[in-house]
Amino acid sequence: MAAVAPTRGEVLSLLRSLLRTARQFSDYNIREYTCRRATDAFRENRALRDVAVAAAAYADGKKQLEVAKRQAVVYSLYAPKAKSIMEMKLQ
Amino acid sequence: MRFYRDRRRHVITTQTEHKCVLDSCRYLQQEGFEVTYLPVRPDGLVDVAQLADAIRPDTGLVSVMAVNNEIGVVQPLEEIGRICREKGVPFHTDAAQALGKIPIDVNQMGIGLMSLSAHKIYGPKGVGALYLRRRPRIRVEPQMSGGGQERGIRSGTVPTPLVVGFGAACEIAAKEMDYDHRRAVVLQQRLLDGIRGQVDDIVINGSMEHRYPGNLNLSFAYVEGESLLMGLKEVAVSSGSACTSASLEPSYVLRALGVEEDMAHTSIRFGIGRFTTEEEVDRAIELTVHQVKKLRDMSPLYEMAKAGIDLKSIEWAQH
Repeated sequence: MAAVAPTRGEVLSLLRSLLRTARQFSDYNIREYTCRRATDAFRENRALRDVAVAAAAYADGKKQLEVAKRQAVVYSLYAPKAKSIMEMKLQ
Repeated sequence: MRFYRDRRRHVITTQTEHKCVLDSCRYLQQEGFEVTYLPVRPDGLVDVAQLADAIRPDTGLVSVMAVNNEIGVVQPLEEIGRICREKGVPFHTDAAQALGKIPIDVNQMGIGLMSLSAHKIYGPKGVGALYLRRRPRIRVEPQMSGGGQERGIRSGTVPTPLVVGFGAACEIAAKEMDYDHRRAVVLQQRLLDGIRGQVDDIVINGSMEHRYPGNLNLSFAYVEGESLLMGLKEVAVSSGSACTSASLEPSYVLRALGVEEDMAHTSIRFGIGRFTTEEEVDRAIELTVHQVKKLRDMSPLYEMAKAGIDLKSIEWAQH
């Protein structure tokens, strides 16, 4: 199976999906981390030119999206009532 | 865990070791073993030459922790491991705080035994691991007798979900080590600059070069540590490790570094982890600076020090 480089649209759509999923985490720290980690990874891999490497990074991102989607649901089942101190002041 | 043979009756460890190691050593002493507690230099590192001198023909174990839990100092494992290998003494390292944070190579560092813990790397609580070298073989006595699984090292059934979780956490920690490290460096610098820029008379406890960046242990002169902790109720910091929280005594780790009693009393440990955000660091700076200034405004000692009086020269009335 030959690796096909993801198009620009596909990549941006994956990043958007990750950020959208990240927002669903109820925990302040995990929400912020997921956003930050996703953005940083995409920024880091922006310069990838090698088709195989880019395809692998894209596949990894897809996998991470699945993990994030699953964990957002799992964490919401057991979310503590107490909010982070950072969110209390924000309101 | 640290039983060897009857001809080896001597154990070497350091004064800044984690409480669990020190308590095990005390237990060994009660059993008739001899234990040498090596002092550390003011920067928290072990003097390797002193360690080499302390090794005797009947030394059965050298135990030095990789990363200190209170001051975050990284010990020179490679040199210690080399000395131990030359002298034929098993080398144990408590790598609970080091796992996933600094690269560890048991072969390069000559590590014979290594204790690991899952919850320090965001794994499940309640599971750990002990690395045991096979060649040259290190023999241990099991903590529990019973079925004698794994060649008699351990008995009982292992909790599969915890073990799998531990493995997964290790995998992620290895993959993310670079990223997490870079981030911890940035945040530590931010925290340090932020506090240092607004408050004077701060001392960093432990070496800054040989340090894991996720830990920052600061002493604020003329401030009482527990009062500062009470004031910082929105920040999860500690004046020592949780393991010694039962006592108001200043940290024995800081005392071992030669930190004066008054400075050891005012120490605060800040921890930075994978999920710490910039905003949290900024908030911590803001609150700490506010509290320190408030406490110093109330403190006659600070006023006297600012007026140029050497506090050490004062003879306090005895009651």
